[in-house]
Amino acid sequence: MTYQTMLSLLGQGFLTTLAIFLLTLLGSLPLGLGITFCRSSKFKPLQWLTKFYISIMRGTPLMLQLIVVFFCPNLLFGIVPPTNWRFIAVILAFVINYAAYFAEIYRGGIESIPVGQYEAAEVLGYSKTQTFCKIILPQMVKRVLPSVTNEVITLVKDTSLAYAIGMVEMFTRAKQIAVAPNSPGIVTLFVAGLFYYIFNFIVAWAMERIEKRLSYYE
Amino acid sequence: MKKMKRFLCLALALVMTATMLIGCGKKDKQQLIVGFDAEFPPFGYLAADGTYDGFDLAMAEELCNRLGWEFKAVPIDWNSKDTELKGGNINCIWNGFTYTGREDEYTWSDPYVDNSIVIVVKADSGIKTLADLAGKTVMAQTASSAVDGIDGNEAFKNSLKEVVQLADYNTGFLELKQGTVDAVAADIGVAAYQVAQNGSDYVILEEAVSTEQYAVGFLLGNTELRDAVNTELKKMAADGTMLKIAKNYESVGLVIDNLCMLG
Repeated sequence: MTYQTMLSLLGQGFLTTLAIFLLTLLGSLPLGLGITFCRSSKFKPLQWLTKFYISIMRGTPLMLQLIVVFFCPNLLFGIVPPTNWRFIAVILAFVINYAAYFAEIYRGGIESIPVGQYEAAEVLGYSKTQTFCKIILPQMVKRVLPSVTNEVITLVKDTSLAYAIGMVEMFTRAKQIAVAPNSPGIVTLFVAGLFYYIFNFIVAWAMERIEKRLSYYE
Repeated sequence: MKKMKRFLCLALALVMTATMLIGCGKKDKQQLIVGFDAEFPPFGYLAADGTYDGFDLAMAEELCNRLGWEFKAVPIDWNSKDTELKGGNINCIWNGFTYTGREDEYTWSDPYVDNSIVIVVKADSGIKTLADLAGKTVMAQTASSAVDGIDGNEAFKNSLKEVVQLADYNTGFLELKQGTVDAVAADIGVAAYQVAQNGSDYVILEEAVSTEQYAVGFLLGNTELRDAVNTELKKMAADGTMLKIAKNYESVGLVIDNLCMLG
């Protein structure tokens, strides 16, 4: 196996990693906002339920959550898994896990806005929705961005946990290549590491750009 | 409000993608969905063209061609093999799968490979027999028959300092190389493959830990699929197809003398 073959095989694995990454963000970033609303709801049972959900998501290993999401529908309820269930389960597990973290980050951002701003908005005749969308949300986004970047970078590396349910993402692929006949061996794992690093470098750079563009008052 | 709309759009897009993925149609053709460990050469591994290869997969694919079935190879985490089988994500395990000692846990084909669990040590370690391993650390793959083999050989197990269980053999051999384990217990095919790949650094001890046989495993009670596969498998052994396929995998450590179904 030549280095070129190794790179192209790793590249295939990287596409899977990229798909998990993008779909997870697409699902968890908005879902996190919804969960924040439930978490701060005045309706107590909803608040307790959300608190419980967040504590489970943060308090148990993501690998276990992957296994539970993938196997439980069949083992507990006898549901026949649809085609592609492996991939869907990976996305589902990552989305509900990351949404819990994002929800708490958003909550911190929202609660950091002084009460005076809500009062001022009310005096000016803003409705509750208007206050949130036009005044609170833009400021919250700016404040939580560094924490969100942290989570996003962690997500890139966490995608490798998908191996637990047989998803062949980049790291699993690298391990397969490392044992294949006449392969470059352990070097493959370091090359995979380089892929992760470069990708995270780009992610960090992009997030920094967004931060700069949002700092329009400075 | 614009931001809210954008969020809603994103959420909707996700739901639609998911529905699309779920919606993929079902097929009527009989499927053989083989679960295997893609880090287990020569029985299952990644080939240079990005497809999965190996003696067992080649056999399974040929069998499907002969029966007009659809063949699917699904790489799994070996720890989850039972859950994958029970959950219907795969319908057979065909990957150097040890039958001995697990007779009552699966529905089995006839055994086709005589396997033994052997010990690999560094050539310069001075270890020559199982007795020399007293007080040493031995690696074996988690949930593998190597662990069962060691457990079955109680005197040997008690003489060891520790049995380290890792998810795959490649990591085990790396540990052997750097000296964090003193020996690796593995199926003879896997051991022969690693020795072939690493030149003269490693040797296989002559004395085996245990002997056993490989067969194709199906979900307990799935005799219908088992019977169909078993009948065709025996035909493939009788008409020379098995030998022909086996010859392609000799260079990656398959020992043809161990193919017990060839008689």
